[in-house]
Amino acid sequence: MSSSFMDTVRALISRCVAILSRRRQDADLEDELRAHIDLATAENIQRGMTPDAARTTALRAFGGVAQARDSYRAQRGFPTLQQFIRDLRFAFRQLRRSPAFALTAILTLALAIGAVTSIFSVVNTVLLRPFAFRDPHRLVVMREVEEEIRSERSSVPDNYRHYVRLKRDARGLEDAAIFQQAGFSVSASGDHPHIVGGLVSSPNLFNVLGVQPMLGRGFVEGDAKKGEDNVVVLSYAGWRTLLAGDPKAVGRTIQLSGDAVTVVGVLPPGIQFPQIAMAPGIAMGPQREVMIFAPHVPSDWDLKMDTGAYNYQVIARLRQGVSLKQATAELDTLQRAYTISAHLPTHLGISLVPLGNDVASGISGALWLIFTAVCSVLLIACVNLANLQLARAVSAERETAVCAALGASASRLVLARLAESLVIAFVGGAAGVALAFGGVRLIVSLVPANVPRLHEIEISLPVLLFATGLSIVSALAFGFLPALHSLRIHPQTALQANPSRTGNTREGRRTRSLLVASQIACTIVLLIITSLVLRSFSHLLRQDRGFNSSHVTLAQVDLFAPQYSDKLATVKAVKLAFADRVLSDLQQLPSVQSVALTSAVPLTGETWVDDLTRPDHPLPPAERPMINLRWINPEYLGTMQIPLVAGRNLSASDRAHPNVALISERAAREGFPGENPIGKQISNIVPDSKETVTVIGVVADTRINGLKNTAAMVYMPYWAYTPWMLSFLVRSAEPSDALIPGVRRVIWGIDPQVAIPTLKSMDEQVSDSVATDRFQAIVLASFGGSALLLAVLGIYGVLAYSVSLRRQEFGIRIALGSGKLALMRVVLLEAMRPILLGSGAGLALSIVAVRLVRSLLYQAPVADPFSIGGSLLLLFAAAMLAAIIPARNAAAVDPMRALRMD
Amino acid sequence: MGENKSDVLQGTLDLMVLKTLESMGPLHGYGIARRIEQVSGDALNMNQGTIYPALLRLEQRGWVKSEWGTSGTNRRAKFYSLSRIGRKKIEEETENWERIAATMARFLAQTN
Repeated sequence: MSSSFMDTVRALISRCVAILSRRRQDADLEDELRAHIDLATAENIQRGMTPDAARTTALRAFGGVAQARDSYRAQRGFPTLQQFIRDLRFAFRQLRRSPAFALTAILTLALAIGAVTSIFSVVNTVLLRPFAFRDPHRLVVMREVEEEIRSERSSVPDNYRHYVRLKRDARGLEDAAIFQQAGFSVSASGDHPHIVGGLVSSPNLFNVLGVQPMLGRGFVEGDAKKGEDNVVVLSYAGWRTLLAGDPKAVGRTIQLSGDAVTVVGVLPPGIQFPQIAMAPGIAMGPQREVMIFAPHVPSDWDLKMDTGAYNYQVIARLRQGVSLKQATAELDTLQRAYTISAHLPTHLGISLVPLGNDVASGISGALWLIFTAVCSVLLIACVNLANLQLARAVSAERETAVCAALGASASRLVLARLAESLVIAFVGGAAGVALAFGGVRLIVSLVPANVPRLHEIEISLPVLLFATGLSIVSALAFGFLPALHSLRIHPQTALQANPSRTGNTREGRRTRSLLVASQIACTIVLLIITSLVLRSFSHLLRQDRGFNSSHVTLAQVDLFAPQYSDKLATVKAVKLAFADRVLSDLQQLPSVQSVALTSAVPLTGETWVDDLTRPDHPLPPAERPMINLRWINPEYLGTMQIPLVAGRNLSASDRAHPNVALISERAAREGFPGENPIGKQISNIVPDSKETVTVIGVVADTRINGLKNTAAMVYMPYWAYTPWMLSFLVRSAEPSDALIPGVRRVIWGIDPQVAIPTLKSMDEQVSDSVATDRFQAIVLASFGGSALLLAVLGIYGVLAYSVSLRRQEFGIRIALGSGKLALMRVVLLEAMRPILLGSGAGLALSIVAVRLVRSLLYQAPVADPFSIGGSLLLLFAAAMLAAIIPARNAAAVDPMRALRMD
Repeated sequence: MGENKSDVLQGTLDLMVLKTLESMGPLHGYGIARRIEQVSGDALNMNQGTIYPALLRLEQRGWVKSEWGTSGTNRRAKFYSLSRIGRKKIEEETENWERIAATMARFLAQTN
């Protein structure tokens, strides 16, 4: 009979229902069968049989009652499934009978799965989860390329004119928005102001992103006109923080850096603008969540400059169906054509990077490395468990043989053994997920604050699905080999043989050795990479920085307030007066030795990057060396303890004629090769001034922008130009914690309406600047340690097991006069083979692995003998430690007892 | 199972049960088994017990319904009857079976 789909569905439902009401159904069936026999007996009696004969005949006609019942039950439920559930229950009972094994296995797995799940939740959020914008895969970050400096800077930010032209001409782009990141000074009801992250963008930004405001409207073209631009759109978080989530927010006025602006729209929750770097290698500045969006009005300068002025960032949307490559090729062609037609002095190109990749570019390498590392730890854990399971399968061999002899099918045997692994995997996996909730919090506290989308990290549904999949995969990984083992058992041999002898077949030993070897290989790779990372990190911290951060406190002051507005004619004098007062008042604080001023927060990357132009030696723009310009006071060198190499320091007497500069050794090398720079002139460097500047001194190179690099620096006195962002550096005998309240009091005593975005010790600033490297080092070191521990446990487990199987053999050897040392050698030699094999394989693997991770490390060599040798030594020492206990046990075998055994 | 108690083809038994219920009305398991034995004569010597998995299968598909009732001899027993779907299926299955039987007959005639 053909059964239709509906029949199948009805049958399936009825089967499921049957499982739930099994007991009642059983009773029903018994009643029905009894009725059958009774009815048959009654009819037979009626035909004239004796009651006994009638019943016997009835039973015979029925056939086997037990068989009928069995096939009835098989028809009723899901026999295979129910059988498997029985297997699981049995496995569970078996595990409870060996709690030490079960606990070890579950704990190992829980830790490993917990670690992998925690790391995965970070990877998932930071690298994999798409942004909440419309078709986020079509969004790209567009930067320009200057062919002449490509080797130094792979791309540069965008020029406004170039953007306008590209947006108009490029067919591959649907739209593109240009923007600048900004900090707005906001003071709520007369409080000290604080800085809120913001964006000044072309009005089409929300169209490019595909975001609809929740309240009010987005920007329109008319907003980007002088005089009309006093409108803002708030992010959801901005609306909550600045307007306390006022439902009538649209139309309200807020004060931004002293200007009154009207709120015209609020973005929905979940929409957050990512942090996008100006260009690779250029600092992003302080990381602040973007809460305020303001329209950008192009300045005359923007509309005029066709070279340089790379002051913007652009986010573009690719047209549907246009690939990244096609768009890049098209824009590149447009840039080249423009270079020629406009007779530009530099050759332009383009760089398009998918938004997700660009935002994660700083951390993705480190995260993938860590994820790979934690996965190999899980792999090593699985190998350990596989070895344990293999041993259990061997000792359960007789049981399996009996089952096979009684007619259990191959699939039944494999499933029965796999059941145990599944139970371990699920309990371990569940415990692992529970651990991961804590693990995620731990990782989030360790992850450097500049990791994008940090606060979004959570154990989400995809993460849970991943953990479940991981549990199943690991159950298969460590349970399948042992389960297959039960297939190879020949019932007869297994039942006759001595179990310890079957366990110690050459094949069994080879499998165990191979498993241990693979573990060792993984561990070696992990150890070598870990030690490279640690060495590179310690080198980063310990190398000479060229400045001394200890006992220095850093305070950054932000002068974006109406009293320092560039609309005021007196702004220069006002800023200068403020800086002077802060410097002299800070000097009055007790125990302060010196107070310095600089224009950039140290260790936040390259900022105020400019060409070094010499009037006496003009060069085409592409050949001019790049320098970082800093505005300092004369005490800067002394406070940071940067040595003066040649010439003289700034002095108070320069105040009247402030157009003097100090340059770093690197700037001297690159800008004045083979010449004495003292007394030479630099032009076009002071904003809004045509005067040239005289070099008066050369100072040592420092790693003041970041510990990984020195930069060519030009230092000028703040008397020539006082920036709106001032960083004060206070050297004091007192610790920063004690000093900080005083510093704050001094600054707000002079002007309560300035913001202090950064106030901490310089040591902390140094430490924060290498947060990613530290995170990578800490996490990898802990995984490397775990891997080593697991490998040691694995070696120990396998050897101990092997020794226990060979007790009789050792007994005989001792009885025949073998010495204890000789016996220990036998065991240690057995241990050596997989260790040597694994180390060899691991070394070969690590050659590849190190090449892959090298770009993540600071000044790491390809082959570091110290790392390799140290890792090998550590592993050998640990392995020998693990082997020595079983070896001693082997030597301590009592021959009489061993021979009498079994 | 005995040698001459040939295993009844699953589909065959199902159709026999349906036909029996169609001609006899509601019937308990023993009654169905007896009726099938009687109709088939000695040609089909099946274990009466095999009727129960078949009945369950038909009930699961929704082709027959069951209900506890009292037999002619006043014994409580489970009575089976055709459902609406079952009635429709009989036609379908009969046609199906006749086609198979005819095909088989043609094959057998050919080999002779």
